Order: sequence, then C-alpha cells, then structure tokens
Amino acid sequence: MKTPRLLTLAALLVAAVEAASAADAIPVAISTDTGGPSTRAVLTFSKPVACHVVETAGKVQVACDQAIAPSPAKGTLGDAILAGFALEGDRALAFTTGRGYRKVESFEIRNPSRLVLDFEGERGGAQAAAAAPAVAPGKSGTIIVIDPGHGGVEVGAVGVSGLEEKAVTLDLARRLAVLLQKQGITAVLTRDEDRVMPLDDRTAIANQNRAELFLSIHLNASKRKSAIGAETYYLSADATDAEARTLAALENKAYQSPDAPQATPVSPPDHGLELILWDLAQNSYLAESSRLAESIQKELNALTGVRDRGVRQAPFRVLMGATMPAILVEVGFISNPEEETRLKADDYKDKIVDAIARAVADFRRGVAALDTGGGSSGASRP
Amino acid sequence: MTRGVPRALALALALLPACGRAPERGAPPAETTPAGAAATPGGVPEPEQGVAPLAKSSVTVWFPSSADATLVGESREIVDTKRAADRGTQILQALLDGPQGSEALAAVPEGTTLRQLWVRDDGTAYADFSTELARGMAGGSEDELLAVYSIVDSLTLNVAEIHRVGILVEGRERDTLSGHVDLRRPLPPDRKLAATRAKE
Repeated sequence: MKTPRLLTLAALLVAAVEAASAADAIPVAISTDTGGPSTRAVLTFSKPVACHVVETAGKVQVACDQAIAPSPAKGTLGDAILAGFALEGDRALAFTTGRGYRKVESFEIRNPSRLVLDFEGERGGAQAAAAAPAVAPGKSGTIIVIDPGHGGVEVGAVGVSGLEEKAVTLDLARRLAVLLQKQGITAVLTRDEDRVMPLDDRTAIANQNRAELFLSIHLNASKRKSAIGAETYYLSADATDAEARTLAALENKAYQSPDAPQATPVSPPDHGLELILWDLAQNSYLAESSRLAESIQKELNALTGVRDRGVRQAPFRVLMGATMPAILVEVGFISNPEEETRLKADDYKDKIVDAIARAVADFRRGVAALDTGGGSSGASRP
Repeated sequence: MTRGVPRALALALALLPACGRAPERGAPPAETTPAGAAATPGGVPEPEQGVAPLAKSSVTVWFPSSADATLVGESREIVDTKRAADRGTQILQALLDGPQGSEALAAVPEGTTLRQLWVRDDGTAYADFSTELARGMAGGSEDELLAVYSIVDSLTLNVAEIHRVGILVEGRERDTLSGHVDLRRPLPPDRKLAATRAKE
C-alpha cells in the first residue's frame, strides 16, 4: 500500500543527496536525551544506511557499511549511563558507556531513516542534580513534584476582579509543599517564582527527580459563569494509543515532499519519533493516575461541598511523558466571581492544600497496602 | 519543514477525474478542500462538476453546552458532496457561525475563521484556523478542552472518512491553544463529551 509512495519519496531524497555530494559520507544527525529513565540517542540518517549495533567492554558501537558523517562528530554527555560518543574510523560511531550503564536496546524507524538507541541503567542522585536545577538536594526518600500552572507572561485564566491563575497556583504549590514536607516527603516545585516554564520542562523535572507523584495545579475557567467546583484530570488513554500515534508519526514523515514550493502556509506536524515515544511514558501509569485523581477529587468534593464534577480524562500536554502517576487538578473556577473571592482567602487556600495532602497520604497508604499484598485487586499496576 | 501540500494537491487534482478518489500511489495522500486549493493546475477538469444537483444530508454540529462541561449537538443540513473535505468544511463553517439554540455556547473565539481543511487517505484531517482561535482563548482548561473537541467531534462523528483531527493555527502547528490540550498530533474524538443533543 504505502511502498510506492515511500519509493517516490526515497527517490527524491536520494536524488537530492547525490546531487549535493556524490560519493561522500552520509550525513547523520545525532541527538541525545537524558531526560527520561534511560538515556536515548537518535541517529537520523540523510538516507538509509545499513548499520548494526555491537557491544564491547565499556562501549556500544554502531558500525555501518558506508562512510558516515555524524553531526556532531563527538559529544560528551556527562551522564551516569552514557558518557559520550565519537566517530571511529569513517563508518562507525562509538558510544562510551558510564558506570550506571546496564544494557542497550535499539530499533530502526523509516522516513526519515533513524536508529534509536536506548541505554538503560541507573543514574545516581548526583547525576540528576547536575541535570536539572529544580532537583531535591541529595535527599533520599520520597520526592513529589508539584507543578504550579502557568507563570510569567502566561498568566493563565483571569477572574473578573483581576485575580490571575498563575499567582494562585504558585501560592497553593508553596503551601502544599510545606504540608507534604510535614509528611516526610521532599516536595519539589517546577517553578518557585513567577516565570514562564515550558510544559515539557515541568514533566522533565519530575522524571529527573524520579518523583513518586506529579501534581499539576491549575484553576479552571469557563464561559459559563455559574461553573464552580474542582475537577481532577488524568491523561486520556486515546492520547497514549501507542500504535495510532506511532503510525501517525510515520505517516507525517511520509507526507513530506522535499520539492514542494516554499509558499505553502501549511505545515503538518513534524516531530521526531523520540518525542512520541517519551510521550507514551504515562501510558504505564494510567491506572495509578486514575486512583490518585479519584483520591484527590473525593477530598476536594468534600471540601467544596459542590456536586461531584468528577474525575475526567484529557490529553493534557503536561501529563504526557511523566514516568509516574500524574494528575492535573483544577481546584476551582476563577471565572466564577464567588469562587474567585474564596480563592483569595488564605484559610480557603489552606483547606485546598490540606485536602490534596490528605489525598496524597491516602493514595500512598493504598500503594503501601498493595505492595504488602493487602490491597484490593482492582488497583493493580497495569 | 514540511511542504508537501501544494504538490499533493496538484497531483490529487490531476488524478481525481481518472480514478474518482485520491490516488494511492505516486504522491502523498491527499483529498483537498476547494477553499484553499485555488492553485488548480491549468487544463485539469474539475471533478464532480456538471452532474445532477447533490442531495443534502443532516449532520450534528457539537458546541459547548450552556449547562455543563460537555458538548451539545445541534442539527444542520449540508450539501452531501463526495469529498470528505467539502463536507468537513461545511460542518466547520456551521461551527464557526455559532449555535442557534440557547442550550449551546460559541465553540471558538469571535472572529475565528477556517483557512483550510484537508483530509488524508489515512483518516487524518488537518483543520487550519486563523490566529483568533488561539489568541482569543480565555486561558481556562475547560474552554480550551471544549473548543478543541467541538472541532474534533464535529468532524469525526459526522464524516466517516475522518478518524482524527489535527488543529493548526495560521498554517502552523501549536503545542496547545492556551497551555493545556496537546495539539502536537491529531486527536481522535472524545465520545463522552458529545453525549446529548439539543432539543429541536
């Protein structure tokens, strides 16, 4: 079905590459990512090249049957799993593994031709601390990452009196951190000041800290001024449908046409597959995320006394890629004037974080019960 | 960057009269909208012209509910054109025109226009809107979620050829409209949101 189309594309690519530099080394773009549980290297070849992965002591070598020109030609990661890489001869790329390295997994992707290497192993706490600014200072034990929604020029929703979501979420996050610390938990905030913070970086902080839980705090807004109450979200399963998304990514690649005119206003999504695979990380935690969301929603419903707005699922960007149970809680509607007024009051904010902290404790007790075999069977790890 | 569309359009248009549908080989998959496809190559016969008038069919356009955080459906009639993108364009236009009953609210910020819709053979549609779609978002996740799924559900639940929808703004992909819903890849419908129809 797809083959003729791919051949057309491949022919165009080959023609372009050959016209540019006949018989030269094949350009290979190297990218690495230490933000996940394993360290990933992606080699993007400008045209298909046959390579194989060979493991020797302290090294993982990618040996190809043609000369390659990696860009960059060498790199230092300073990662506990992967120390760096360098070109060896003219057709091999050698990855130097670190102390924490255990094994490597590799797979290939077409259009464009890519080789993905996942270096698995353990990173020490010191390594994680070097990689991210907002990492708990060398403490062992439980870490929970709290994410105050929005920040900086991204003010979030604004109430009729001018109250800004970004300020309330930061205030709530700081209050929650104090309560969690009383439970013996190290709380790490994704931002502890009023500044813009990219969504991916928020999740990355949780991953790099190997946080037990990721709690993103937001305020809701609706055109319906009467809308009130809390809602807790976890990621929708559709959004993590691995097969569909991988397929969509490949289709997107096949869709590109290098000789199309420049003037088109249209640019279908063009993402590296490595990004998509990281996005699937939350897939393994949906059952736990659901339970955590239920736990928080129950407490907030009891607090607000409003009808159950319930737990919901949505493809929220900040939850994708989290390698732990992750939820986004909308603690109230800033678009409702009465709720906005309540959200300004210190005692109400304390009640909200008290409810969330209780829910976290409940959830963790449930996990502990499961770990010792005393829990119900309905909440097992997927 | 990806620039496959005009070439895809040209090829699709060139081949359509011969095979009656978007080609499977020789070009990236493409069905096209009429609106954005002004660059029809000279001499290519227009498909689906000069035949009997097309029938109308009834569709359900999904708007944010004025009662709760779901979508509510309103009926509309569209011309039952052969090409999925033509039907989809009519549906999105009805969505942008706004609701007629009091049970529904406007789905997208005022002034939002559809720049182009195209549908690929694999069931993915890309809907490209004017900048108002993102700029006019108030910042709350409920509004954002309902705006996104009013578009996605109105297309996927009415047009059999569309299984998922990518949302673009001014021809470009965006991470989100206002910080919540991931738009980096096409979204399948959320059938739970589209549960009730407005009373006729």
